[in-house]
Amino acid sequence: MAEPAALTLRGISKRFGSIVAVDGVDIDVAPGEIHALVGENGAGKSTLAAIAYGAVKPDAGSIEARGTVGLVHQHFALIERLRVWENILLGREPRAGLRIDRSRARAVVGDLARRHGLAVDPDAVVETLPVGIKQRVELLRELAREPAVLLLDEPTAALAPSEIDAFFVTVRALAQRGTAILIVTHKLAEVMGYSGRVTVMRRGKIVARFRTAETSAAEIARAMVGGEIPALTARAATQPSPRLVVRDLRAGTGAGAIAGASLHVEAGEIVGIAGIEGNGQTLLADAIGGVVPYTGELALDGESLPAGQSPAQRIARGIRIIPQDRRREALVLDWNIIDNVALGRQREPPLRRGAVIDRAVAGRFAADVIERFDVRPPNPKAIVGALSGGNQQKVVVGRALAGSPALVVAYQPTRGIDVGAATLVGSRLIEARNAGAAVLLISFELDEIFALADRVYVMFGGAIVGEFARADIDRGRIGALMAGT
Amino acid sequence: MRRTLRDALIALAVVFGVGSIAMLLGHVSPVVGFAALFDGALGNQSELAETLLQTTALLFPALGVALAFRAGLFNIGAEGQIVLGGMTAGVLGVALPLPGPLLVPTVLIAAAAAGGAWGGLAGFLKARFGANEVIATLMLNTIAVLFATYLIGGPFKQPGAGAAETPQLPPAAWLPVLVPGTRLSVSFPIALALGAAIWYVFRQTVFGYELRAAGEAPEAARRAGIDLGRTAFTTMALSGAIAGLGGATIVMGVLHRFNTGLSPGYGFIAIAVALVGNLEPPFIIIAAFGFGILQSGAIAMQAEANVPRDVVTLIEGLVIVALAGRRFAAERRAA
Repeated sequence: MAEPAALTLRGISKRFGSIVAVDGVDIDVAPGEIHALVGENGAGKSTLAAIAYGAVKPDAGSIEARGTVGLVHQHFALIERLRVWENILLGREPRAGLRIDRSRARAVVGDLARRHGLAVDPDAVVETLPVGIKQRVELLRELAREPAVLLLDEPTAALAPSEIDAFFVTVRALAQRGTAILIVTHKLAEVMGYSGRVTVMRRGKIVARFRTAETSAAEIARAMVGGEIPALTARAATQPSPRLVVRDLRAGTGAGAIAGASLHVEAGEIVGIAGIEGNGQTLLADAIGGVVPYTGELALDGESLPAGQSPAQRIARGIRIIPQDRRREALVLDWNIIDNVALGRQREPPLRRGAVIDRAVAGRFAADVIERFDVRPPNPKAIVGALSGGNQQKVVVGRALAGSPALVVAYQPTRGIDVGAATLVGSRLIEARNAGAAVLLISFELDEIFALADRVYVMFGGAIVGEFARADIDRGRIGALMAGT
Repeated sequence: MRRTLRDALIALAVVFGVGSIAMLLGHVSPVVGFAALFDGALGNQSELAETLLQTTALLFPALGVALAFRAGLFNIGAEGQIVLGGMTAGVLGVALPLPGPLLVPTVLIAAAAAGGAWGGLAGFLKARFGANEVIATLMLNTIAVLFATYLIGGPFKQPGAGAAETPQLPPAAWLPVLVPGTRLSVSFPIALALGAAIWYVFRQTVFGYELRAAGEAPEAARRAGIDLGRTAFTTMALSGAIAGLGGATIVMGVLHRFNTGLSPGYGFIAIAVALVGNLEPPFIIIAAFGFGILQSGAIAMQAEANVPRDVVTLIEGLVIVALAGRRFAAERRAA
């Protein structure tokens, strides 16, 4: 590399308590380069990105950057109650005298969005936006600062396939203009498609460096997991029988509403819901979980699930939801694994003994989840907020699949987690199916649906617009239906 | 654990730092001032008994406040709940024609019910209409105090007495004295037992588990089948009942009648006690003893060292600001 690097990290180390998150890492990113940083959950990638950005102080090592450094977070760092333009221009608002020049601010943001091909409404309030759009706002905020180095931490975790393509067109254009780009990701297809170099981390150390043109996805994956990727569990033949029936479901208003969706899921079957985010998937999961009002008919095993039923009653019927936002909707981050694994079952024996929670039973549940899902660290008393995203998700999925549930709604169950953990989650979902559970898999990633589903529905505009048996899956046709054509 | 230690150190720093500055401004040596305070609070058996009396009066509402705070409910209505509990005890203790062994528990339960209704009302308003519990409890405080003032100045006024207060309770309604020759009654061990019970509830019971889940991660709790509205109502009612019980023990154990002077702001100081104790009952008991020393030593400090007892009020207020402000900031960061 003739050109001096835009970002140079040398000998970076960082410990959190007894855990070594990053251990003597050297890495550099050249101007105009797209450099992929890959690794399993808890490998130290996000910590390294935060160190490069300056948000976390390393215990040892040096950081050199030529120009400003921008970071797009895995967990969004947006001010939910402010508008899009206010978030993007925060602290650098164009002024007219003492006041903010709103029309110019809107124009600046609109122009920025157009230039990068990332359509957003500058006046939308951030908390009303779906995850995928928030991601765009986050990216635009960093782009507005014209950074010399751009760090992207799991940038496509929440994006629909078409959005991912558009996103990488933007990233490539940025690189061509000389921005140095370090992208932290789990998705090997993106690494192979868009990066120039790949650095692989495992347990805080760099274990391999490749030129993308000279390697393969399989070789990178082997370096990441330190062995062969575990194969998905085989799907056993099951005798499907009707389990969940949804008829003419309606919920919500405006964007993201459900407008008359009908579908069914059988016991011993995984049914995928393919669709671009914001087409009613969130309300579908919430209606089944009993956390939003709706009209229409839901029935489990032929028995109606009335709209007034509480989430507790749905849980008692054997319905388990793996929510989209694990940190907010599924976990108590300040609690340990034992208490989190108990959540949702705290009223059922054997966990409940009279008025008391039996911590010994909860401890056994936790040990079981830790073992079946290879949670790291394997300590039931570990505080969940301190685990990596993938290990948090293992706790959520493990809890949902414990105790032979009747119906599992898995909403983006592998969002932002690495290949090894995602494969494990997929295998466990198939095992639950083989054991007779009905599984409704809602995902914005078609590959995930194609890997797991026995049958696929396509959701668009709050309705089911297509249905495909596994044998008849037609990628092009599904893509067209998802786009509303 | 580390947070508890840090909060305790902050509280001690405020007490001695601000206290010393205030004394120096009044041209009194802090050594002399604090010596008078501690001597007045702990110097002999009867002073220690008075300190434990203050400890008890703070411990009840502090436990109630902690219960609500753990559920994410900022109950600042303990003062009104104390007043209503005390008033119920003052009225029923005179009016109920029951023999002693029945009278005391009946009156205590009725007082707890009155405080519980007052707290539960705020919980109901929150669950049903989304009313902010801070505003609701603050306004209910004013209503409770003014309502009690009206009752003892009118319908329940002691006939012929000049002061606005209820008639003296019959001795059958008095709480048994623990140490002869002092005013320390069985309310002290009752408060300690209540602290142990609440600690057990937090750590071991389904109710405590759901309450803490609702406080720490409401959205996750809701999806785990926890009814947030019902939890808010139950928690606020229990919180109010504990404060109301505290009010009754002051009436039945110390004053033996009700007047509106029964609480010099115990319900507000209790917020500081609960926060210094990091909302964990064992530490709250220790914190209540610390604030009990301040409360009971203040008079001695004024008499012996010529330091106005308002210095103690100042210190207590600043402890609330320091700890509540820090906790609030931490929660904003986490959100």
